[in-house]
Amino acid sequence: MSVQLSRELISIINDHRSVKALATVDDSGVPHVVVDHSIYVAENGNIHYLEHLESSRSNHNLVGSIWFDRKVSIGVQGEGDLKFQIKAFPVKVHITGPLFQKHYVELRQRLGDVDLTGVWEFNPIEVTDESLKTLQQDEEANRPIFRHLDRFAKTQSNN
Amino acid sequence: MTAILLDKVERKLTLNEVVEKYPDVPRLVILKTDVHLRGIHFTDAALSVVDPSIHQVRGKSLFGSRDGQIKPLPASLLLKDGTLILPDPTPLDRNPYVIDLVGGRLALIDNDELLEFVDLTEKPRYYDLVTTSGIPMKEIVTARPQRLDLIVSGYCHFGTRGNSCRFCDINSHNRQQAREGVGKSRYKPQEISETIREALKEPGRFSFIHLTGGSVLAGDEVFDRELELYIETLQAIGENFATKKFPVDVTTSALNEKQLRRLNEETGIMAYTSDLEVLNEEKFNWVCPGKADSLGYKEWRSRLIRAVDIFGRGYVGTGIVTGVELAKPFGYTSEDEALRANLEEAEYLAEHGVTTWSSPWVVRPSSDFHDQKSPSLEYCIRFARGLDQLRVKYGLIIDFNDYRRCGNHPDTDLSRVH
Repeated sequence: MSVQLSRELISIINDHRSVKALATVDDSGVPHVVVDHSIYVAENGNIHYLEHLESSRSNHNLVGSIWFDRKVSIGVQGEGDLKFQIKAFPVKVHITGPLFQKHYVELRQRLGDVDLTGVWEFNPIEVTDESLKTLQQDEEANRPIFRHLDRFAKTQSNN
Repeated sequence: MTAILLDKVERKLTLNEVVEKYPDVPRLVILKTDVHLRGIHFTDAALSVVDPSIHQVRGKSLFGSRDGQIKPLPASLLLKDGTLILPDPTPLDRNPYVIDLVGGRLALIDNDELLEFVDLTEKPRYYDLVTTSGIPMKEIVTARPQRLDLIVSGYCHFGTRGNSCRFCDINSHNRQQAREGVGKSRYKPQEISETIREALKEPGRFSFIHLTGGSVLAGDEVFDRELELYIETLQAIGENFATKKFPVDVTTSALNEKQLRRLNEETGIMAYTSDLEVLNEEKFNWVCPGKADSLGYKEWRSRLIRAVDIFGRGYVGTGIVTGVELAKPFGYTSEDEALRANLEEAEYLAEHGVTTWSSPWVVRPSSDFHDQKSPSLEYCIRFARGLDQLRVKYGLIIDFNDYRRCGNHPDTDLSRVH
C-alpha cells in the first residue's frame, strides 16, 4: 500500500520555497486545512509535520485519524505549475525523544517563544500530479467531450 | 438453564470482541486498557535491548507491581499515538501480554499475534546527576515521557491503624523499597529544587509536574501536616520558575477550604486532585476505612466541590479505582448496576465542576484485596466512554491529567479529541 516518493517530489517538498498544506477530517467528515511550511520528507521516506498546538483542530483530527485509520491529504506547490497531492495515513506521533526535542529546539530558535506538541509522521499511499498541464492533458485524452465548443471551432485560418 | 446463566455471568468479552462492540472507542485505547488489566511480561530478547544507561527504567514508585519485585524494567512504553503504557510486570501464569523483540523492534504480543510496536523512552539527562548533598537526582524525582513525578510521602498514615484502602499496597511497597535501598521517604527542599532545576535544562523534555503521596493525618486540623509538606515541596520547586503559576498539580487527601486556599495562594499549582476511589458511600466505607473514618464520603466529596471555587472548573478532579466497587462480598453484584451508579455520581460531580477519571483496578498482591479479581475490559471501556461523555456534556477539560500529563486513564485518552 505504501508508495515511495520520487526524488523530484522529495526535493520539491523539502524546498522551503514550496507551499505545503495539510488537510484532515474530523469524525463527522468535516475537513480542515492548514498551510504549513514545516512539512518535510524524512530519511525513511515518510512525511513529517510539526504540530505546534495540542488543542488545534488539526491535532485533534490527526489523533482521530491515527485511531480510526483515516487518511490525510498533503498538497504541495513547487515552482511554476508544479503541484502534487499526497494521500497518507498518520502512522506515528512523536511527543518525546531525540527527534521531537531536535525540532522543539530548532523551532524555538527560529520562531521565538513557540511550543511543539508533536511531530506527526505520515506514510504516503498515493501521489497524484495536480499540475494543470498534466490534468488537462489527461482529461482531454480520456474525457474528450469536456471542452467548450469554441475550442473545437474553426479559426479564420482554417476556413 | 442454570449452566447457561452461569456461563453468561462468567464470560468476559475478549479484546477483539470489545473492539467490535464499541466501534466509537479507538482500538488503541481498548488495547492499552487491557494491557493495564492483564499486565506485561518482558521476554529475555526484549530485555536485551533495554539499556539503563540510555533508557528510562523503573525507579522509586508509590505502588508495587504484580510480580512483587523491584527490577530495572522499562518505566514506560510509547504507543504510536503518543500515549503510553506503564508496564506492570506480571508472572506468566497470570496470562499477561508479552513484550518481545520482532525484527529488532519491541512488539506487544498476545497469543503469538503481534498487536503493536512500542518504543522505549530515553532517560532524561538529570538521571545521571547527583545533588550537592550527593543524592542521585533520579531517586528524588522520577519521570514519564513528559511528566516529572515526586512522592511527597511514601507512607500512608491510614495504615498505622490498619485502615489503609483495601486495594492499596503503598505501605508494603514503601517497606520493600526501604529494605532494598530504593530511595528515601522524604528529601530536603534544596535537593528537590536542584533536581527540578536540572530537569528544566532539557528543552521540550517535560510538560508537567505531579506530586502525590500517602495521607498524613497530623496537625491541628486533619491533614494540616500533609499540607505543610506539599507547600514546602511546591515552594522548593517554584524557585525554578519565572511565573507564580506553572503546570503542576497535586493529589492529596481531601483538604478543607482553608487548606486549599493556602495551597493555591502559597504555591504554583494549577490543578488539584483528591481521590474518592469509589463512587458510593457504602462501598467507600468498606473499601476506604481510613478515609471514611477521617472525614467520611460526603465530606470528602464536598471538599472536592469547594475546591472548584478556588481552582476553577476543569481544574479539580478525582480518581476512581475502577472495578473495586465490584469487590466481593459487599460490592455491586452486577456490572450494569455498578456502571449506572458510578456514572450517576460522576455526573453529580461534573455538574459541580469536578471531573472524574478512571484507573482500572489492578489487584495488588500485598493489598487487603489481594484475592479479588480485576474488572472486565468491557466494564472499564463502558465507564471510560461514560466519563468522557460527561466531560463533553458539562464542558470540562482534563488538560492536567491527559494522555501526556499522566497517560494512565482510558477516559482521559478519549478526551484528547475534545
